[in-house]
Amino acid sequence: MLFFRSEERVNEWCQANGLPRRPLVTLTQLWRLSVAWYANRLTPEARRPAPSEMASIFTSIGLNGPFWDPQADEFR
Amino acid sequence: METDVAVRQAVYRHFVSTGAAPTVASLASTLGLTTRDIAAALQRLFERRVLVLSPDGDQILMAPPFSGIPTQHRVLTGGREYFANCAWDALGVLAALQQDGLIRSRCEQTGEPLDIPVHATGPESIPCTVHFAVPAALWWRDIVFT
Repeated sequence: MLFFRSEERVNEWCQANGLPRRPLVTLTQLWRLSVAWYANRLTPEARRPAPSEMASIFTSIGLNGPFWDPQADEFR
Repeated sequence: METDVAVRQAVYRHFVSTGAAPTVASLASTLGLTTRDIAAALQRLFERRVLVLSPDGDQILMAPPFSGIPTQHRVLTGGREYFANCAWDALGVLAALQQDGLIRSRCEQTGEPLDIPVHATGPESIPCTVHFAVPAALWWRDIVFT
């Protein structure tokens, strides 16, 4: 996951590297994702979210579709 | 396993207090365990996707959101500097520490510096977007690239 100044710079980077253009995420969405994922990471009880929990987190911040499905078959 | 939790917590404490990954030897000294015990615990944590190790298992490359090696994603907070594994983890360092801070990264296409101040309420609004190149189902196939 990389930062870019703009969508245009993303398109240039994908073209230059021969990579498919994938979804863009705003800083606000990424912050919400970071809090959901990492806010308790330093506690002894911390654990990675299970796939179903991951899917719920993505959906809650507006990231929908197979790209965000940790169990999606189409990318395996 | 109790040892694994102790090792995991010691790894994170070391990252938080120094900004760097601990060595197997330093973990053994801190926890009063043998280096063989530490190496075995790190391997189990790697297999459970808690940490990422170097191919020889001797070095902690990632304890997400912290990076054990320098990256283009630096996070300044509380008078310390941390390296993050990716854009997500750069914000994740501040979410984990629950501190305000400054992310110093770059536009991956142009190399232009991108400084992002982050507060308790979230990052300041600057012209910036984040590209996820790898679908969620494949993140752990090559976690370093992801």
